[in-house]
Amino acid sequence: MITREEILDLAVLAKLFVSEEELDALTEEMSNIISFADTINNAGTEAEFDGINRLSNVFREDVPAPSYPQEEILRNAGGGEDGFFLVRRRG
Amino acid sequence: MSWEMVCGLETHVELSTQTKIFCSCRVRFGGEPNTNCCPICVGHPGTLPKLNREVVRYAIMAGLVMNCEIRGDARMDRKNYVYPDLPKAYQISQYDKPLCEHGHVTLSSGREIGITRIHIEEDAGKLVHQGGNTFVDYNRGGVPLIEIVTEPDFRSASEIREYLEQLQLLMKSIGISDCKMQEGSLRCDVNLSVRPAGSKKLGTRAEIKNMNSFSFIEKAVDYEFHRQIDLIESGEKVVQETRRYNDGDNTTESMRSKEDAHDYRYFREPDLVAIVTTREEVEAIRALLPELPDTKLARYISSFGLSDADARLLVRYPKICEYFEAAARGLKNPKAVSNFILGQIFRTLETEEDKEAARISVSAEHLRELCSMMEAQGLRLNLAKAALDKMLETGEPAARFITKEDLEGVDEDALLAICRAAVEANPKVVSDYLGGKEKAVKSLIGQVMRETRGKADAVLAEELLIRCMREKA
Repeated sequence: MITREEILDLAVLAKLFVSEEELDALTEEMSNIISFADTINNAGTEAEFDGINRLSNVFREDVPAPSYPQEEILRNAGGGEDGFFLVRRRG
Repeated sequence: MSWEMVCGLETHVELSTQTKIFCSCRVRFGGEPNTNCCPICVGHPGTLPKLNREVVRYAIMAGLVMNCEIRGDARMDRKNYVYPDLPKAYQISQYDKPLCEHGHVTLSSGREIGITRIHIEEDAGKLVHQGGNTFVDYNRGGVPLIEIVTEPDFRSASEIREYLEQLQLLMKSIGISDCKMQEGSLRCDVNLSVRPAGSKKLGTRAEIKNMNSFSFIEKAVDYEFHRQIDLIESGEKVVQETRRYNDGDNTTESMRSKEDAHDYRYFREPDLVAIVTTREEVEAIRALLPELPDTKLARYISSFGLSDADARLLVRYPKICEYFEAAARGLKNPKAVSNFILGQIFRTLETEEDKEAARISVSAEHLRELCSMMEAQGLRLNLAKAALDKMLETGEPAARFITKEDLEGVDEDALLAICRAAVEANPKVVSDYLGGKEKAVKSLIGQVMRETRGKADAVLAEELLIRCMREKA
């Protein structure tokens, strides 16, 4: 069974703020999700997730292609600053 | 109580492939920020990574030279963490099925350092913190890395240094990385704990990051070893944490308490497929490996007659070795070639980088010509040295600086006449010599050599001079 502390740990890892009121509901929901996953685990399938698409060794040759222009790369980040992506201080 | 160091290393080596691990952007150090980037390596949604074949081959080569087993079925995994140097908020790495496992390297003491694993992964971008803001350059993001993890087998800072020097030389010899610590293409994290000497139990370990030179690593390890002993002896406990090395005051300081492995929430990378390598493929890669430094060292000593010290100096620089072997090809006395390289030629190579790249202004062919003039045509060493200096200055061949006369030398009758004349002209030197000052003969040898423009055999000249002086007695 999952505990309230584990939910709080997960919230920290996921960078989420969880209020006291949400905590009980989330604990219960997460417990349900995990027991559902347990049900699937118990289905006793031999198939391994690893081999699910049965593909292996899809490679690219080590041949360079042109990169994108700097402006293009920074466009979706508001243009960046001095050629860099800018991560502003929080708060 | 006496304490024992228990230390393991994680070494990141940037591979010198043409392109990044999952996209076709070039791998280049430096340059304008965010100019070697594309939507894949800056982590745009909807992009898919495609694995560079060469990265797998390079990693297998590294595994083979570190005596690893190569996994037939390797997988890629996601390592999740949130930090701006990783635009996807995860790094594609390998978790439980790395390419190489269970290897070892042997130190000069005969002690073996176990290699736990070698896996491939992508490098992160570079962060510049300024005025509370963070500036990110993803040129390095997606550069292929291998991470080489050792067992906690190190017992001293000097063992760590020897291992890293060996590792660096091995990687350079097989040509998979330039291993430049100052450019960050070889980076090292140290896990260190202490225990009472003789104990089998492991103590609590601290991880030290942020070290980019051999001497920093040695100092940091020594500092951390004594810090932990002091803590324990004063009744405190070592905390499991990540520490940063400060080269300014030569100490380590706490960065953050160590996350547990499961905090990275590793899982199989669903966008990449299995890497399957057959035994035949591994053997084909092994067959193409160049000669390794240890084998080369032994060969230089046994077949070329070099001293251990000289051979070690050459073997440190794979490109210098290529030059040496090209110059020595077909010569009876390769030692002469090595003497020229380690003496006059090395003096013209000012930086380590010059030596690494073998930036020698005289071609190997020209050096060979010079040496064969010594072997086959009796060119004297002093004339050869003078010619080499001029060759190094101009890049021109030996023939340009050596005359026919230089090669002819001076025959014994002519030399005797010159010696006799020198003795006649210097009665003071002769009486000094006959009076017991044996060193007086040196000044006459100098005169004879000047007279013959260095072509005379100095040993023979000495013999003849002494004979002439004795006649005067």
